[in-house]
Amino acid sequence: MNLNEQQLDALKELGNIGASHAATSLSQMLMSEVHMTVPEVNIVDISDISEYFGDEICALVVFEIQGELLPGGYILVHLPQKSAIQLTNTMLGMTDTDREFNEMDESAMLEVGNIMVSQFLDATATLLGIIMIPSPPAIAIDMAHAAFETVVSQVLAPDINDVILFKTELSSAEHEIDSTIIMLPNSKTLEEILRLLQNLIGTQ
Amino acid sequence: MATDENRIKTTNIGIGEYHVGSFCMSSIGLGSCVALIFHDQKRSVGAVAHIMLPESGGCGNRPGKFADTAVETLLMELTSQGSNKRNIEATIVGGASMFKQFSGKLDIGNRNIEAVRKKLKELNIPLKAEDVGEDFGRSVYYHPMKSGKVYVRRANGTCTDL
Repeated sequence: MNLNEQQLDALKELGNIGASHAATSLSQMLMSEVHMTVPEVNIVDISDISEYFGDEICALVVFEIQGELLPGGYILVHLPQKSAIQLTNTMLGMTDTDREFNEMDESAMLEVGNIMVSQFLDATATLLGIIMIPSPPAIAIDMAHAAFETVVSQVLAPDINDVILFKTELSSAEHEIDSTIIMLPNSKTLEEILRLLQNLIGTQ
Repeated sequence: MATDENRIKTTNIGIGEYHVGSFCMSSIGLGSCVALIFHDQKRSVGAVAHIMLPESGGCGNRPGKFADTAVETLLMELTSQGSNKRNIEATIVGGASMFKQFSGKLDIGNRNIEAVRKKLKELNIPLKAEDVGEDFGRSVYYHPMKSGKVYVRRANGTCTDL
């Protein structure tokens, strides 16, 4: 898979718009400032995914991208275990950080993930002039690489060996929460997004 | 025990890759993927593949990526380096169903396990041990020089020797 500079820039800008909407909603939920990084678009060979995700425990919330683009691919919210516990604590006014992950954390993650991803997809879809809706979420509290490779196995056609890792980090310094939004479009969806972006740039 | 294992330098086998040798090999964070380990007790060498999908469907560019091609390739690599097929034993690890909400759709893990077992049977390679299925991730470490020891660390922290 090859993307030129202009396509990469357009994708980053799209990510920027989506992520800033997600950041606003996260900021409202936490009632604190949320910083976001400049979106990154990396083309990663499947054998190198272990350089991005190790076997540390994390919370990974997964949504299928539904709407006009079918099957659209997946969008994920990744939080390290500590951040996930901090997130629940912040929302429920608890302070115990030295505890196991429990069902309450799971519900909180599903809820927060849902709000962030809905905002992200809604903003990007509106810009592109299409409909993109997240499926009901699935969640794994497990080794990051194990959860991630399972999703990649779904997206990838047998003859494709790289994934477009499209990610933005959102973090709250006050509450020590780090999260990452990752979009894994399947190749047809990516082509369609690039085509729509090209049209947008062309008409300006 | 766990800390000792982590101090040993290993070569990580990424998704779709395979390696042959007598050095320590690992596959970190197996979810629905399956690590296939072949060990030749006589020569203290072995091979590991990180299998992602059950069938290649004629896609031959990454033999380690698919159950059918991985089993054949590991066997071929070991025998071409002097191993006798009779001395080769297999171990498989992984193939979990990581997402209970997406059970039907996302259950590639089970299909991977079945495909590997079927191919091993077809080629008459004994399956010595396995730690497969269920709903959690695993990391696996394989030591060809230590009698082919296979060590699994599960996501909940429990460690076992297979």
